[in-house]
Amino acid sequence: MLKTALRSLQANKLRFGLTALSVVMGVAFVAGSFVFTDTIQARFDTLFDDVYAGVDATIRIDETATVETSFDESYLTEVRAVPGVDRAEGSVSGSAQILDRNGETLGGIGSPTLGFSWVADPALNVGRIGDGDGRAPVGPGEVVIDKYTAEANGFAVGDTIQVLTEQGVGSYQLVGVAAFGTEDNLAGATIAAFDLDEAHRLFGLEGRLDTIDVVAADDVAESELLADLATVIPTGTEVVTGQQQTQEQLDDVAAGLGFLNVALLAFAGISVFVGAFVISNTFRITVAQRIRELGLLRAVGATTSQVNRLVLIEAAVLAVLASALGVLAGIGVAELVRVGLDAVGIALPDGPLRVEPRTVIVGFTVGVGVTLVAAILPARRAASVSPMAAIAAVDTRTPRKSLRNRAIVGSLLSLAGAGALVGGLTVQNGASLALVGGGAAVVFFGISTLAPLIAGPVARVVSSPFRSITGKLARENTVRAPRRTASTASALMIGVTLVALVSVFAASIKVSISDTMETNPADLIVNSFADPLSTEVTDTALANLQASPEFDVVSPVTFGWYSIEGVNLDVAAVDPATLSQVWNGAPSIDFADMGDGLMVHVNVMEDNGWAVGDVVDVEYVAGTVPTEIVGTFETSLLAYTLVSHEVYGRNVGHGPASFASIRLAEGVSLEAGEAAAEADVAGFPTLQVMTRSESIETAEAQIEQLVSLFSGLLGLALIIAVLGIANTLALSIVERTREIGLLRAVGMSRRQVRSMVRIEASVTAVFGVLLGVAMGTGLGFALVRSLEDDGLRTFAIPFGQLGVWVALAALAGVIAAIGPARKASRLDILRAISYQ
Amino acid sequence: MTIALDRITTTGARMERGVKRYGFGDASIQALDGVDVGFEVGRFTAIMGPSGSGKSTLLHTLAGLDTLDEGSAYIGEVELGALGDRKLTLLRREKVGFIFQAFNLIPTLTAEENIVLPLAIAGVDEDRGWFDHVVDILGLGDRLDHRPSELSGGQQQRVAAARALVSRPEIIFADEPSGNLDSRSGAELLEFMRRAVRELGQTIVMVTHDPVAAGYADRVVFLRDGKVVDDMDHPTADKVIDHMRFLGA
Repeated sequence: MLKTALRSLQANKLRFGLTALSVVMGVAFVAGSFVFTDTIQARFDTLFDDVYAGVDATIRIDETATVETSFDESYLTEVRAVPGVDRAEGSVSGSAQILDRNGETLGGIGSPTLGFSWVADPALNVGRIGDGDGRAPVGPGEVVIDKYTAEANGFAVGDTIQVLTEQGVGSYQLVGVAAFGTEDNLAGATIAAFDLDEAHRLFGLEGRLDTIDVVAADDVAESELLADLATVIPTGTEVVTGQQQTQEQLDDVAAGLGFLNVALLAFAGISVFVGAFVISNTFRITVAQRIRELGLLRAVGATTSQVNRLVLIEAAVLAVLASALGVLAGIGVAELVRVGLDAVGIALPDGPLRVEPRTVIVGFTVGVGVTLVAAILPARRAASVSPMAAIAAVDTRTPRKSLRNRAIVGSLLSLAGAGALVGGLTVQNGASLALVGGGAAVVFFGISTLAPLIAGPVARVVSSPFRSITGKLARENTVRAPRRTASTASALMIGVTLVALVSVFAASIKVSISDTMETNPADLIVNSFADPLSTEVTDTALANLQASPEFDVVSPVTFGWYSIEGVNLDVAAVDPATLSQVWNGAPSIDFADMGDGLMVHVNVMEDNGWAVGDVVDVEYVAGTVPTEIVGTFETSLLAYTLVSHEVYGRNVGHGPASFASIRLAEGVSLEAGEAAAEADVAGFPTLQVMTRSESIETAEAQIEQLVSLFSGLLGLALIIAVLGIANTLALSIVERTREIGLLRAVGMSRRQVRSMVRIEASVTAVFGVLLGVAMGTGLGFALVRSLEDDGLRTFAIPFGQLGVWVALAALAGVIAAIGPARKASRLDILRAISYQ
Repeated sequence: MTIALDRITTTGARMERGVKRYGFGDASIQALDGVDVGFEVGRFTAIMGPSGSGKSTLLHTLAGLDTLDEGSAYIGEVELGALGDRKLTLLRREKVGFIFQAFNLIPTLTAEENIVLPLAIAGVDEDRGWFDHVVDILGLGDRLDHRPSELSGGQQQRVAAARALVSRPEIIFADEPSGNLDSRSGAELLEFMRRAVRELGQTIVMVTHDPVAAGYADRVVFLRDGKVVDDMDHPTADKVIDHMRFLGA
């Protein structure tokens, strides 16, 4: 049987090649995500080990214990006095953005821009200046930057470069470039290091430190050192070992790369799922085509289980080959991701790619498993072929089973899946993600079970514009095998459903946000470029704005976190007197009357069973403060709870605002107001002034970016589906050789044959896309409705975008048809009509 | 000159010194070995011969489905060897009708749609009077809305015959049209074909190995080993059988 199976694979190389491709892609994503993660982990492991090699203990701020970001530098003396401490150095850090030659800030999207004080002792410094790379910075005018940034921008030791900090832009002489461990930069960050005095000035931390690194004396036990240090360190700080520090950094990196990993695995899942449809389809058609051969095998004595095994062996051989290719391709995928990240400015450490045995095992398990599962039904059908098939001309089409059973099973699956999905969306617990994913998969199965029932009618409608004989023949071809049409279309449906879901979801978010923001009475917003949530609007900037006669109201908001009655919540500290003039939060009482009380979002009230008038325990870092809930509000764009700046300052400390909302004075034009605000913050390069429409645009652009990222990756699922269409079409052409031969004999031109195949492919593709759009929109509706309480009030369908997808699908059909159409039009008529 | 003019008026298709080889070297088979033959307009000609005599190849090369290695084939006065695929396709569409042994019909189309298929491919409307006439002669009036799977073998072949007739081709080629039919259906079909020639003035060339089928023709051309070995006018089944025996088939 193995020999027969191998022969069959060999005889149909192209057909199985196309099928294998879908397995290869799925496995490649699985393997790629593992290889990528393992490689990155290994590289960072080495990097941080190197970087922290010399440090035995670090004293640093414990962010869970204090809102302070530094401590008095006098503690350094105390630490140095601890027995067992050989050497100790203190340092400060902050944000410092290096500017390129055009004055634009460097650093990729989201990659940190670190500034810190350079420590002379190499054992206590994460960076190292190599031979010929210059020297450490001394005095106010000197800086050291990371080697990667220096080389990427052509900065050489001796050049003058610009660095942007809270104090504004400063010019520095570049006196050295630093490497970190074996790397030219630190986990993708750009780094600017100054001497301690300059760093103190730049970060506004005169007389303070945020870290002390310690080298222990030779004969001191680690636990003893830590215990001793713990007795002298200031409150709000903690002492950790170098190893701990390394591990934490690694965990941070892992968390940061986690989304990539999840994305890669999600696409692996989608490719594998789509691939399973393509595989199952191919095997079913090849079984149907080889019915004579299978009948002959049965006639000469093969048992049903042997025929069953024959198909499964074919599938297994195919799966093993495809999985091997997939694992190799996965290594390519990992490298591509790295190159891609590099291109957007996220440089990762160098080093060899890591292919762990686990990666190979998982890759093969997925590839072989999926292929075999997909081949089970076709194999059973093959086994049921009667020996008579070898002798008599048997209709190669499988007999139509009861459509009623199909309708019942399909409906039940769809409903069960939809139930699980809705359940997963409404219930918030650990199982919800599994419910949503599993529910969606079951819905897919349900709909694809139902699809043959509607394939005929839909195909008739879709193809109705094609009135010529080629259109008619194409239509009849899609209608005559509704199951094939439906399962081919299903592969496409899955990708399109996801794309449609993302589009609908994003469109709804966009409309909801802009609806809310449109009603926002603020004319201008001042916030930070880099991170809209960071606290950037300093008192000086705020004072400038407040002094401008162009503005009627300048209302600062500061974001923070605390917990109330054990529930972690975000808080916005606001100015009660002016808030209602710049923000429309639909409050139950006038914001101006909140006093020392707390205002809470209606959903949070409901979730926790709180009522207006309740006194709740608010746990600030400094301690617990019983506070009365004085009112509620309904718009969640700001934060879920509000307190006055006064209350917040009393319990947390006064800091710069996160942003300021501005209302223009009577008679001041938007342009004039914007210009005035720009002038007020001119000395603060990290601040930007945005009009209301600019804010909306920015918010929309961010969502748009996410959508295009998703769509791009889901495009891969569509490619697999297109391969599936091409595959099915090629097989159906083989099946119809005689028919096409006859058409050619009675005068159909090659061009007409090609057009017939193209129309058939497009009709199938459009059918799949329509199913997908309908499902995606339906799922999107469920998702949006389930998030209604979270501020997603509007359900929007992006008709234009969806229209583009339908058009693209028709085009994809045409592209998928290129090969099969050529093949069909080049058929040797004579062989076709004498084909047995 | 007179001979040439004579030919133009009387020959629907002809072949001059036609040679067709299949395969290469030792495995090469001379399917046609210098065939000279013509088929008169308005006559029903049968081509007979044992298996491997080259009769199907003769039909295919005459019909523009296959090309000759040497010599030339004509439909009317059009030399087929000079035509590319596009012109050959147009020629088949406009001037040639086909009836094959089996698988003559497109399963997804009704009988009527199958009959007008060549016209639909050409994008021409059918002549309704002619269509009704053909359908009437072939006795298909009550079967027009049926799909091929709902028709008997004989009905299917009659639909194929109607399709061949409806575009009024210069010549119809039939390849064992009754080969898959029981004797009664076969006889009916052949009788229709004879009527098409007598009453509608069609030209039909039919390949068969069945002496009874050949008995319906006006003339029989005998082929053996790729050569025309004999020619018989006004055949009957008995005469053909005798002749075959004589030829040693």
